[in-house]
Amino acid sequence: MDVASLLDRRLLLVTGKGGVGKSSVAAAVAVASARSGRRTCLVEVEGRHTFSQLFGTQAWDFSEWEFRPGLFGLSIDPEASLREYLDMFYGARHLSRVVVRSTAVEFATAAAPGIKDVLLIGKVKEMERRRDDDGHFHYDLIVVDAPPTGRIVNFLRAPDATTELVNLGPIRTQAQTLIDMLMDAERTNVVLVTLLEEMPVTETLEGAHALRDMGVALGPVVVNRVMPERFDDDERKAITADLDPAGLQAMLADAGVRVSPAGADDLLTLAAGHLGREELQRTSRELLERRLGLPLLELPELYTDDFAEREVGLLADAVTDAVTPDEVS
Amino acid sequence: MSEVLAAARKRDLSSAIAEAHVIVCTGSGGVGKTTTAAALALGAAHAGRRTIVLTIDPARRLAQSLGLRALDHIPRPVKGVEGLDAMMLDMKHTFDEVIDRHAEDARRARRIKSNRFYQQLSGSLAGTQEYMAMEKLYDLHMGGAYDCIVIDTPPTRNALDFLDAPKRLTDFLEGRFLKMFLNPGLKAGRTIGRAVSFGTGVFMRAASKITGAGVLEDLGDFFHSFEGMYEGFKDRAQAVYKLLSSPGSAFVVVATPEPPALREARYFLRRLEQDGMPTAGLVVNRVTLPPPPSLKGLSARKAGAAIAALADGGPEQRAAGELLSLHLDRVDVARRERQAVTKGLHGIDPQVLVDVPRLAGDVHDLEGLEAVGAYLYRTT
Repeated sequence: MDVASLLDRRLLLVTGKGGVGKSSVAAAVAVASARSGRRTCLVEVEGRHTFSQLFGTQAWDFSEWEFRPGLFGLSIDPEASLREYLDMFYGARHLSRVVVRSTAVEFATAAAPGIKDVLLIGKVKEMERRRDDDGHFHYDLIVVDAPPTGRIVNFLRAPDATTELVNLGPIRTQAQTLIDMLMDAERTNVVLVTLLEEMPVTETLEGAHALRDMGVALGPVVVNRVMPERFDDDERKAITADLDPAGLQAMLADAGVRVSPAGADDLLTLAAGHLGREELQRTSRELLERRLGLPLLELPELYTDDFAEREVGLLADAVTDAVTPDEVS
Repeated sequence: MSEVLAAARKRDLSSAIAEAHVIVCTGSGGVGKTTTAAALALGAAHAGRRTIVLTIDPARRLAQSLGLRALDHIPRPVKGVEGLDAMMLDMKHTFDEVIDRHAEDARRARRIKSNRFYQQLSGSLAGTQEYMAMEKLYDLHMGGAYDCIVIDTPPTRNALDFLDAPKRLTDFLEGRFLKMFLNPGLKAGRTIGRAVSFGTGVFMRAASKITGAGVLEDLGDFFHSFEGMYEGFKDRAQAVYKLLSSPGSAFVVVATPEPPALREARYFLRRLEQDGMPTAGLVVNRVTLPPPPSLKGLSARKAGAAIAALADGGPEQRAAGELLSLHLDRVDVARRERQAVTKGLHGIDPQVLVDVPRLAGDVHDLEGLEAVGAYLYRTT
C-alpha cells in the first residue's frame, strides 16, 4: 500500500474524528480523482448538505448528478434508499405499496439502524458494480464521506450484524455481497483523516486497530492541516537558548523595528508556544508512523478566510502531487 | 451585530456555575465539549457546590485526570478537588436500569434484557445515547446528592438530536409501525380499521420476505414485552424535558472559530431560543488571541521591512525575523477568526461569549482545566 495507488481502488471510505476536516478531505480526494480523468462519484451519507454548501451548488439528493465535469455527487438518504430497495424487490405489484413502504421505512429507520446502514452500503455497492453497455465500470472511483471514527466500525459491521440477526431472505443475501466488497483490499480502502494533535491521533490509532481487527484494508492516512515548519534547527536553538528579551530588542532595533521589553518578551512567548505546536506535530507524526505502519499523506493548513470550492481545489492539488510519481527529468 | 457580540464578550459563565442546577454542554464533535464541561464542573466545585460531571466519551487522559479509569458507571470523587465527582455514562447499563425501573416485575425485565433485539437495539435504537444521557441526568437530579450536575452531550452527527431524543423515542413508541406490530393478530373490524389491518398483513408478509422467518416473531416478542412500559417512558421523557427547560438549567454551546462548528452552534442557539430553553452562552475554543498590548504598535509595513533585512543575517537574526512574521501571521489569523465568529453568529445574541485561546497542548490534567476555567469564569 503506498500513497501513489490511493486512487486506484474502487471505493474509498473517508472517516475521522469530528473536527478534523473529514468531509473536506473526501471532497479534495474526489476532485483530485476527477482531475486525473477518473469518472468519480462523491457520496454523502449523513444528509448534512455539507457538499452542496462546500461547492456552492443546488441541494444534493438521491440521484447522482454531474456537478463538475467527470465529478458526480450523491446524497444518500437511507429512507430513499430503502424505498428504492423495496421497489426493486416488490415493485408496484402490490396494491398496498404505500402502506408497505411507509411502515417498512419507519421500521428500518427507527427500530433497526443496522439495516439502514446495510441499505446505505447496498446503494454504494450497486454503484460500484454498475457497468456501462461497453462492459466497463460506470464509475472509476467512489469516494464516501463516511460516518466519523466513533461510528465507523458499527457502520461497516452492519452487514455482518444483519446476517447474525436476519437468517434468510434478500437482505441476508445482499449483506454477504456487501461484506465481500468491504473486505476486498483491492476494491475498498478506509482512509483515516487526522490532525497532528493528541486526541485525533489517539482516536486514529484506536480506529485503525478496530478496523484492522474486522479485516478492512486501510489506505494512506491523510494528515490534515499540517503547519509548515517555520524554524530550522539553528533558528530553533537561537530562540530557545540564545535569545533573551534584551538581545531580541536590540536586534530588532538594528533592523528598524522598536519594541518595548515587554513586547520582546511577548514575541519570545509567542515563539515558545509555536515551537511547542511544531514539536507536538513532530511527535504526533512519529507516533502515527511507528504505530500504524501506513504511509501518510499530508495536506497543508491553508490559512484562508473561507473554506469553499477554491480551498478544496488547493487540497486537491496536494493530493494530486502526492499520488503522482516524481518525474525523472 | 458586532456590538451584541462585544457586549457578550464582556460577560462570562460565572453565574451559571454559581447558580445553575443543571449545565448541559453541547456542540458538534471535536470542539472540546468534554473539556469545557469538566472545567465548568471544577468551577462549580470551587464555588463550594456539590458537583458531578457526567461525561459520555472522554479522551482517555482527561478521564484519567478526573479519576475515571473505566466505564464503570459509578460516580467517582475527583482526587484533589473537594466536592467534585465524575462519572462516565455506560449506555447499556443505563438502559438496563430503565428496564428494571419500568418493568412490572423482575421476570419481565429479565425477558426483555435477554431478547436478542434488545441486545442489539439497546446500543443502536435511534437516539438511545442521547436518551440515556438524559435518563442518567434525571436520575442524578432526583437523587438529590448534587447541587450542580454538568453533562457533556454525545457526539451526535447533529447536535439537535439531543433535544429531540425524548420526543423521538416517544414518537417511535407511539408510532404506527409499532401499533401494527403489537396487534398483528387483530381481525378486521375490531380495534383498527379494515384497510390498516389489510396493510398490516401485507406488511408482515413483505417484511418476512426481507428478514426471513422467525425474526419478526422475536421482534414482536420484544415489543410486546415492553407493553405497559410505554407510559412510564413517555412520562419520564416529558419530565426530563421539563427539567431542561426550567430556569435552573443552563445550556452552554461549544464551538471552535471554524465555519462548520460555528454553523452548528448557530443552529443550536436558534433552536434553544425557539424551544424556550435557558441558554447560558457560547464558548469558542481554540481561539487565536489578538496580540497583547505590548505589540499593538508593530505594523505590518515596519515589520515587513525588518523581516527582509534580518533574512540575510545569522541564525539569531533570521530567528528574530521569523518571530516578526509569526507575529504578523497571528494578527492575521486572529482577525480572520474574529470575522468567522461574527459572520457565523450574524443575527444571534448568545448573551455570553467566551473565547478560550488555543493552548500549547491538549488539556489532560487539573492544572489544564483550571487554565481553561480561568477564561470561562475569569477567576481573579
